Amino acid sequence: MDQSHIRNFSIIAHIDHGKSTLADRILQITGAVSEREMREQVLDSMDLERERGITIKAQAVRVMYTADDGETYQLNLIDTPGHVDFSYEVSRSLAACEGALLVVDASQGIEAQTLANAYLAIEGDLELVPVLNKIDLPAADPDLHARALADLIGDDPDQVLRISAKTGEGVKDVLEAIVTRMPPPTGDPAAPLRALVFDSVYDQYRGVVAFVRVVDGEIRTGQQVRAMATASDFAAEEVGVMSPVMTPIGHLSAGESGYVVTGLKSLVDLRVGDTLTLAGSPAESPLPGYREAKPMVFCGLFPVDSDEYPDLRDALEKLSLNDASLVWEPETSQALGFGFRCGFLGLLHMDIIRERLEREYDLDLITTTPNVEYEVTTTGGELLEVRSPVDLPSPNHIEQIEEPYVRCTMLVPQDFVGAVMGLCQERRGSFVTMTPIENRQQVVYDMPLAEIVLDFYDQLKSRTRGYASLDYEMIGNRQSPLVKLDILLAGEPVDALSMIVHRDSAYARGKGLVERLKETIPRQMFEVPVQAAIGGKIIARETVKAKRKDVLAKCYGGDISRKRKLLERQKEGKKRMKHVGNVEVPQEAFLAVLQLDGQSQQ
Amino acid sequence: MPGDPAGVAHLYVHLPFCAARCGYCAFVVEVGREDARDAYLGAVRAEIQRADRLLGPLESVYLGGGTPTLMGSGRLRDLLDEIRPRCAPGAEVTVEANPETVDAALVAGLADAGATRVSLGAQSTRDHLLAALDRRCGPDQVRRAVDAVRADGRLRLSVDLMLGVPGQDGGDLAADLDWVLATRPEHVSWYELEFKEGSAIARGGAAPPDEDHAADLYEQAIAGLEGAGYRWYELANFALPGAECRHSLAYWRARDYVGVGVGAVSTVGARRWRNAPGLDRYIAALGAGGDPPRSVEQRDADVCRRERWMLGTRLDEPLDLAWAGPADHPEAIERLAARGLLERHAGTVRLTRRGRLLQNAVVQEILDFA
Repeated sequence: MDQSHIRNFSIIAHIDHGKSTLADRILQITGAVSEREMREQVLDSMDLERERGITIKAQAVRVMYTADDGETYQLNLIDTPGHVDFSYEVSRSLAACEGALLVVDASQGIEAQTLANAYLAIEGDLELVPVLNKIDLPAADPDLHARALADLIGDDPDQVLRISAKTGEGVKDVLEAIVTRMPPPTGDPAAPLRALVFDSVYDQYRGVVAFVRVVDGEIRTGQQVRAMATASDFAAEEVGVMSPVMTPIGHLSAGESGYVVTGLKSLVDLRVGDTLTLAGSPAESPLPGYREAKPMVFCGLFPVDSDEYPDLRDALEKLSLNDASLVWEPETSQALGFGFRCGFLGLLHMDIIRERLEREYDLDLITTTPNVEYEVTTTGGELLEVRSPVDLPSPNHIEQIEEPYVRCTMLVPQDFVGAVMGLCQERRGSFVTMTPIENRQQVVYDMPLAEIVLDFYDQLKSRTRGYASLDYEMIGNRQSPLVKLDILLAGEPVDALSMIVHRDSAYARGKGLVERLKETIPRQMFEVPVQAAIGGKIIARETVKAKRKDVLAKCYGGDISRKRKLLERQKEGKKRMKHVGNVEVPQEAFLAVLQLDGQSQQ
Repeated sequence: MPGDPAGVAHLYVHLPFCAARCGYCAFVVEVGREDARDAYLGAVRAEIQRADRLLGPLESVYLGGGTPTLMGSGRLRDLLDEIRPRCAPGAEVTVEANPETVDAALVAGLADAGATRVSLGAQSTRDHLLAALDRRCGPDQVRRAVDAVRADGRLRLSVDLMLGVPGQDGGDLAADLDWVLATRPEHVSWYELEFKEGSAIARGGAAPPDEDHAADLYEQAIAGLEGAGYRWYELANFALPGAECRHSLAYWRARDYVGVGVGAVSTVGARRWRNAPGLDRYIAALGAGGDPPRSVEQRDADVCRRERWMLGTRLDEPLDLAWAGPADHPEAIERLAARGLLERHAGTVRLTRRGRLLQNAVVQEILDFA
């Protein structure tokens, strides 16, 4: 199809603002999905996504639309992930588009995530079409939010579309706006092939499937193709489009989006952001913007039952097939045995992986405190990348430690600005700016990522009654006075409970932690001191009192089997405990470190 | 392990009739089925006769319930007449009784029929605790029942008491203790209230007391009774010298026993069987000349060994390792000894006082219950 009749667009929206409903409605109106086939959220295929109402994997769906001008247009809807952890994927998806629908809930208004992605789109020179969704809701305030939305993108409030994706009202206008307001692609059909990989998935039968936007040239089934960044060559086994299921069409030309079945066996060979070209007549340079997805958050994952170690390895291998940004390597803990240190793009990514491991692979896992990657310069001048507190050299060998910082953008109702600023101060944030947006304040702080990865988001939500929204971006490393906080049970350090903390908060953290551990660890047959220490110096102590009474009251002839079975069940329960020295530690204890001290919650 | 070659020496008879179900009860009891008592008595006698080939001279007999005394003196006498010829000289014959059913005539009838011991389910002398337990009798009835037993003078007296009842404080326990010491029964069973699944008290949402409070009460009871000359011979049982319950000791020493009646359990050698609950099918089966419906558990050598440990360590007497069999974790014995929870001496182990309070955890360390 000639490029003037092609539109590539995506939908930018905050979680729950109705992106998936709008996408489904577009499929329905254009006839890509029949009424009967219509299923809620066609585009979000994974259960977990459906459950959380978020999109993890981007995909491209082609629909044909006959506009009011009588012409038929090819519309490629490129779905984008909806979370800050996946902002690199978002940026690649946006790079595949010329325009984007900026969808905002007419009762909620703009959220931080919308803002962040809107800026990404503006930076990428995308034509933004502002859309207020859910105007059928009683709490909708379209006038207020239309003004704010128009301000945000420098548009006229009249240009803001008012729709209800749920009822279908105004969706036709959205399709018209896509055709009339968004520009067509402008690649060179005669140039050597350059296609942007904006997503890839692993299919166990077909290998890696790349979702691509052809910028220049053309790709055909059977051609020898090269991924430029990873330098992997493969044959394009099938070229097609999603409409909305995989439909082979043999070729994609400049301006079009679709998929390529590569036959590659691992996502490592084909990364999001890479450029496909023809192996026989390669393009001179790849498309700009590729970078390797770098894990930001790390934690140890250990099977509760050490016999499940091989199962955990298998499960991680399988998940990695479809998730190139998940990294992992074996880790051994004195307390927890054999497991893996895993790296994630962010907290949500970590939660999703952990949940999938537990749910889809039926594994019981202990997760250690998430931490970031520290850059440590030793006194010998060596530069170390430390991803686990265990690997931190002893204090006298450390010249300096740098930790990653992020710029946090929060949208906060006026009433909660004080609370949010207080929270950011507690978490070592430094104030950057504050700007009013609509009836709210956009508050920007620079903060250590380490302070975000624990419970910052939960705290932000709870201190603003759920009204604040958060986005953050990496701004590089900064030097900080950090120390390793060790936890000792019955005098023995427990490696899995160690953490790296700021020197000034070490005492409060240590105190809070030993208090929570005292509550979590059941009484044993002997007294168990719980201590927090820095470099061998004890800074806080609690004691789990010795158990005083543990008897089965009555045991006569009719009770013996029942009592024995009770003991068997108790033994089964004890198996779920981890033995640290002689101390039996329940799994929850390892989660105790995830909550911060009680002080910060007041 | 094979059964006792001389035959089983311990017989339990379950008499399930009750006037009402108490709040803490999850036993096999039958409320309001007094019309079935004659038929039940006949069935029990038939089951005893069917067990003839297993039984040797009986050294102990225990009529438990339910409320055995609700059977009425006549039927109890008939039952004891059935049993008495099977008893060895000097056998211990215990009848359980709820205080409100005990008067001079009943006591005389039991003693005449050969009972040697009565076990009185007092539970407490405190009004608010009896109310919490849904007991039908008040403190006065408990006192009158004791007086009746003492006035007759032929039966040894055991009383059951409870600790850990919701609302019970140290003062309540001291009051019960004072009463016990004044009454001076030969034997005292002082159980911690179990929040059994299915009992009204558990369903009602009452929570067990916290560990420290329960431990305080337990230690208070032990100290009080020991101070008055009682021997803390089993975790929940106390006796004046020589007045230990021989029937219960048979359980804790892992001896064979035969139980008859609905829900009763028998253990002979490796085999354990349990009569199904349900009065009607029990009566029908025995009436038809067969065994009552039963479930059978065949215990392997490891199960028997672990049970000997589990039961034997409840007693204050040393556990003979040659008899009990090896520990699954011999190193745990060292560790527990080092922690002062257990003592070793010439092929025996014995829990220390602190170890006894933690008996459950101690056997968990030593044995693999799996």
